[in-house]
Amino acid sequence: MGGFATCLTPYNIWMALLGCLLGTLVGILPGLGPSATIAILLPITFGMDATPAMIMMCAVYYGAMYGGSTTSILVNVPGESSSVITAIEGHQLAMQGKAGTALGLSAIGSFIAGILGTIGLVAAAVPLAEFSLQFGPADFFSLIVMGMLTIIFVGGKSIPKSLMSAVIGLGLGCVGTDIVEGKDRFTYGIAELLDGIDFVVLVMGTFGIAEVLVSAEEFMKVEPIKVKFRELFPSPREIFQVRWAVLRGTIIGFIIGVLPGAGPTIASFVTYGVEKSLSKTPEKFGTGVLEGIAGPESSNNAATSGAMVPMFALGIPGSGATAVMLGALILYGLKPGPMLFVENADFVWAVMASMFIGNVILIIMNLPMVPLFASLLRISYALIYPAILIICVIGAYAISTGLFDVGMMLIFGIAGYFMKRADIPPAPMLLALLLGPMMERALYQALNLSHGSMMTFITRPISGALLAISLIMSIAVGTKAVKRARAMVKDDQN
Amino acid sequence: MRKADRIFGVIGLGLSLWCYLESRKFHYLTDFTPGPGFMPFWVGVVLALLSCYLLYDTFRRKPGKEDDVKILPNKHALYRVGFIFLTLFGVLIIMPLLGFPITVCLFVAVILLSLERYSIPKSIGYGVAYAAVTWLIFEYFLKMGLPKGFLGI
Repeated sequence: MGGFATCLTPYNIWMALLGCLLGTLVGILPGLGPSATIAILLPITFGMDATPAMIMMCAVYYGAMYGGSTTSILVNVPGESSSVITAIEGHQLAMQGKAGTALGLSAIGSFIAGILGTIGLVAAAVPLAEFSLQFGPADFFSLIVMGMLTIIFVGGKSIPKSLMSAVIGLGLGCVGTDIVEGKDRFTYGIAELLDGIDFVVLVMGTFGIAEVLVSAEEFMKVEPIKVKFRELFPSPREIFQVRWAVLRGTIIGFIIGVLPGAGPTIASFVTYGVEKSLSKTPEKFGTGVLEGIAGPESSNNAATSGAMVPMFALGIPGSGATAVMLGALILYGLKPGPMLFVENADFVWAVMASMFIGNVILIIMNLPMVPLFASLLRISYALIYPAILIICVIGAYAISTGLFDVGMMLIFGIAGYFMKRADIPPAPMLLALLLGPMMERALYQALNLSHGSMMTFITRPISGALLAISLIMSIAVGTKAVKRARAMVKDDQN
Repeated sequence: MRKADRIFGVIGLGLSLWCYLESRKFHYLTDFTPGPGFMPFWVGVVLALLSCYLLYDTFRRKPGKEDDVKILPNKHALYRVGFIFLTLFGVLIIMPLLGFPITVCLFVAVILLSLERYSIPKSIGYGVAYAAVTWLIFEYFLKMGLPKGFLGI
């Protein structure tokens, strides 16, 4: 209840409202995702108290899930990667004159999943945080290894490319002063690199600049389907029809969101697959099936809550956006992980309470204001992308009030552009940049405590269990890959 | 995609060699723990293995549908992307000289005029508007201390 008392101040409600609005806009407009937006907000919020700043950033994250469905349904262009599935089913419904039903079910499903997901976050984070107080450096090392492997296995279409991206991220994490002997690695006398590469610069480059460059390749002209206010609300029968899809999506999304690296996008795809397999008419999927919208939209919202569980409880990011938020916690002088619940309990509960309020704000904002948001899509993208680029430049400049970070952001931007074109996912690189130094520190501390004995990673029960899970995961994925390769060779021979 | 994979395989090999050479400047191990050279060494080794696998895979597999995707877009798209990137680089160079608002105005005007084929009055008008709005929000209200040029703005 203390959390509600803190977040119900006028200033914090205003920050939640601002975050919801920004998140919805970011979700609607292609070219800028929640990760890059939160990264841009970071330097702007430096002077603020941590609580309202984090309330706003969390609101941007789940607000983007609400907004992404609008563009998907009305224009058939996913505003966010997590809304790709909604574009498949939702736009079909819109073409049948039922855009309002699709939008309404998306918003209602997102709201229910958001509320239930937040309840799940509150229920799961505290026991997990208490359990992780027993973690030693060896356990954290093994947890990070497992997290990195999960990111790699679910990060993209090709595991070798995801692995390459992650390893490059680990290499970027080596830049700066090392923790063992205080030596400068990969700095070449550049003072700005002594503290390492700022992850905000990497995020804005690979997720902001690169996205804009990809979107700007062709002149984008959109003509959104018109929708009237009175058509926005689905019938009670339609809401009743999708009740189980919403519940399933919520559970699946929350569980997937908890896994490091597996965010709302994967949650929405998995839920769609589940709904299709459980449906009595799977052949109708792709033609505008209500469960095909409600399930994935619920799932992507629940995943945002799930992604915050490891962020708050363990100090490990669950997704790209939570990786940026994790960096924000460190910048505000907070220690993410189990100690956050001990030393800054007020902050944690206020942020969690704000998520309930944020979801209420979003359902109120999204349903009646959809025609207004849809009209924003008529603004030419030619006017939008220069604004995004300017904001990215400002954000990079504000990190250290210098142009060096702007230059780094541009370099990462062009690298991110070519990575996207070559189908190399940038998310593993970002997460590895954040987790790599943590992993190196944990390894150093663990071996220091055990006087150099590697057995500590196996003899400690938690560490041993986590490494065993990692090994089983690797064998399972490796076996599948070998079977696929053999099948391909057999096809070639035939 | 095979061409793209080959290019990235070669880039990966280059990066791995760089990491390995850098790791040689530092201790690999200290008394009990990994030294500063430990992580760069293993990053180099793993990256080299992955790059070799990527290169091998491009020669092993048969051409498929994914190979129709090219790493470089068509000429028109490449021109647009290259133009935007070079203009951004220009922003980096002229911002310390001209200051933030003038640079933003020029950036927006050049993009709209050259790439998006807006008229000169419209391009300049939007440039001025963008510069004014961003200055108001980030400099006046948020007091972020954006770069000032020789004119002091």
